[in-house]
Amino acid sequence: MATPSTFRQYKTLLVKDVRQEFRTKEMLTSMGIYALLVLIVYGAALAQTSNQLDILQMSGGLLWALIVFTSLLGLNRSFFAEKEQGCIEGILLAPLDRSVLFLAKATSNLLFLIIIEVIAVPLFWFFFLTTTTPAETFPLMVVPLIVGTIGVAGVGTLLSTITMNTRGKDVMLAVLFIPLIFPLLYACVSATTAVLVGGDTALNTFMLSLVLAAGYDIIMVLLSWVLYDFVISA
Amino acid sequence: MNPVLQEIYSTVIPSAPYIIAAYALLWVVLLMYVLFVVRGFKKTEKQIAILEEALAEKEGLNR
Amino acid sequence: MPDTKRQPKQRSLPEAGQMADRVAPFALIVGIVLTTVGFFLAFFYAAPVNGAEVYARDAAGNILRDSAGNALPALEEIGGQLVSNVLLISQKIFYFHMPVALVSFLALAVAAFYCVRFLMTKQQRYDTCARISMEIALVFVICTMITGEMWTRFEWGVWWTWEPRLTTYLILMLVVIAYFVLRNALDDPERCATYAAVVGIIAFVDVPICFMITRLVPSSVHPVVLREGGMSADMGITLVLVLIGMLCVAFALYRMRFRQVRMQERVEALKAALDEE
Repeated sequence: MATPSTFRQYKTLLVKDVRQEFRTKEMLTSMGIYALLVLIVYGAALAQTSNQLDILQMSGGLLWALIVFTSLLGLNRSFFAEKEQGCIEGILLAPLDRSVLFLAKATSNLLFLIIIEVIAVPLFWFFFLTTTTPAETFPLMVVPLIVGTIGVAGVGTLLSTITMNTRGKDVMLAVLFIPLIFPLLYACVSATTAVLVGGDTALNTFMLSLVLAAGYDIIMVLLSWVLYDFVISA
Repeated sequence: MNPVLQEIYSTVIPSAPYIIAAYALLWVVLLMYVLFVVRGFKKTEKQIAILEEALAEKEGLNR
Repeated sequence: MPDTKRQPKQRSLPEAGQMADRVAPFALIVGIVLTTVGFFLAFFYAAPVNGAEVYARDAAGNILRDSAGNALPALEEIGGQLVSNVLLISQKIFYFHMPVALVSFLALAVAAFYCVRFLMTKQQRYDTCARISMEIALVFVICTMITGEMWTRFEWGVWWTWEPRLTTYLILMLVVIAYFVLRNALDDPERCATYAAVVGIIAFVDVPICFMITRLVPSSVHPVVLREGGMSADMGITLVLVLIGMLCVAFALYRMRFRQVRMQERVEALKAALDEE
C-alpha cells in the first residue's frame, strides 16, 4: 500500500487535532478565560494611572504580553492529549515524515491562537481603549498579529515538544520560550504600536518592523522544522 | 588649575570607582571559574585514590 | 574505554591530553600578558574619548562669547595636543567590554558547531564539548554584563536601558542559562544531549537576529546611539591586543575544563567497570 502523500498526511493530522479540540473545547476555553483574567490583572495594574496616561502607546505592548502568556498556556497543552493517551508512540510508528508532524501541530496551534486573539483583541479594546481613538491605520494591526502568531506557533511547537519530557514542564517552556521569542515580540510590538498611535513615520516603522518580524519567522520556523526530526525521535 | 582644565578632567574621579569595579569583578569572575575547575580536579583525584584502594583490595582477595 | 575512537573515513573525536592541551598553558600565559599590556595601553597610550564640549572662561569664571553671542570653545594644551572637550576615562572599560562580549558570542558559535556535530554523529563526546563551550560562554557573558553595567552606570547615569547592545547581551545570558536549566531537568543522557543540542543551535541563530532587530526597529524612546566615527589607530591596537589576549584565555580555560571533564568521565567508566567484576 503506497504511503499517502505528504499533504494528505498533514491534512489528516491537522483535522484530527482540530476535531479533537472542537469536541471538548477544553484548551480554547481555558486559554480564553486565561486571557480574560490577564486583562483583569491589567485593569488592576492600570487603575491608578491618571487620565494623562496615553494608553494607546502602551496598548501594543500590553496586547502582545497578553498573547505571549496565553500562548505559553496553549503550547504547554498542545501535546498533552497525545502524551496522556500514549498516542505519540502510535504516531511515530506510522511511516510518516516527522516534519509533517511538526507542520500539523504548528498549524493547529496557530489556528487556536488566532481564535483566541480574535476574542482577546476586541476584549482588550472594550476594557481599555474605548476612552481613546486609535489612529485610522489601526485595522493594519491584523498583519503583525498574524505574522507574530506564526512565529510563536512555530518556535513554540518545537520547544513544547522538548519540554514535554522534562521535569517542571511549564516553567521550562517559559524559560526557553521567552528569550528566544524576544526579537519577534520586539518587532511586533513596534509594528502594532505604530499603527495604533499613527503619526508621520508610522507606516515606515510599520513596514520595517513587519519585514524584520517576517524575517525572524522565516528563519526560525524553517530551523524548527529542520530540527524537529531530532527532537521527536529522542 | 584653571577652571577650564578642571572642567576637562571633571569626570575622572567620579568615574574611577566604576572603572576599578569593572576590571576587578571581571578578573574575579574568571578566577572563580578557574577555582571551579580546580575543585573538579581535586574531586577526581580523590575518586582515583578510592579506585586504587578498591583495586588493591580486590588483588588482596584474589591472592 | 579507548581514548580516541578512530573510525575509518571519519575524524577522531576531540580528546584531552593532545596537542591542544600542550599549547593551552602557553596560551594562558600569552593571554594574560596580552591583556595586561592592553590594560596599560588603554590607560596610558590610547587617547581618552571626548565628551561634552568645554567653553572658554574668563578670570571670574563666566563663559566668553564672540560677537554673535556663541560660546567660544576652550583650547587647552594637554600632552602636546589642543583639547576642547571633557575627557572621559570611563570609556576605558570599553577596551575590555567589547573583547569579552565578542569572545562570549564566539564561544556560543563553537558550542553550536559541536551541537551540529553531535546531531550528525550522535557521539557523546561532542555533547561534552558543546556543554563546556556553553560554560565558557556563560562565564564571558557574565563578564560582559558586569563591564557593560559599570560602563552604562557611569556613562548614562542609569543602571539599565533597553538599548540594542545591552538587550542582546541580556538575551544571550538568558539563553545560555536556559540551556543549563534544560540540561538539569533531563535525566536520560541521550535525550538530554539531543534536546540540548537543538536548543544550542536555536540559541545561536536567535542571538544575531535579536541584535539586528533591536538595532533596526525604529524607536522614538531609545534612539540607537552610535559612537561617532571610527576608532583611531591607538584605540584599535589596544582593542585588538585585548581581544587576542581574551581569546587565548578563553581557549586555555576551555582546554583546562575539557581535560578535567574527560578525566572525570574516564574515572566514572573505570568505576563502573570495576563494579561489574
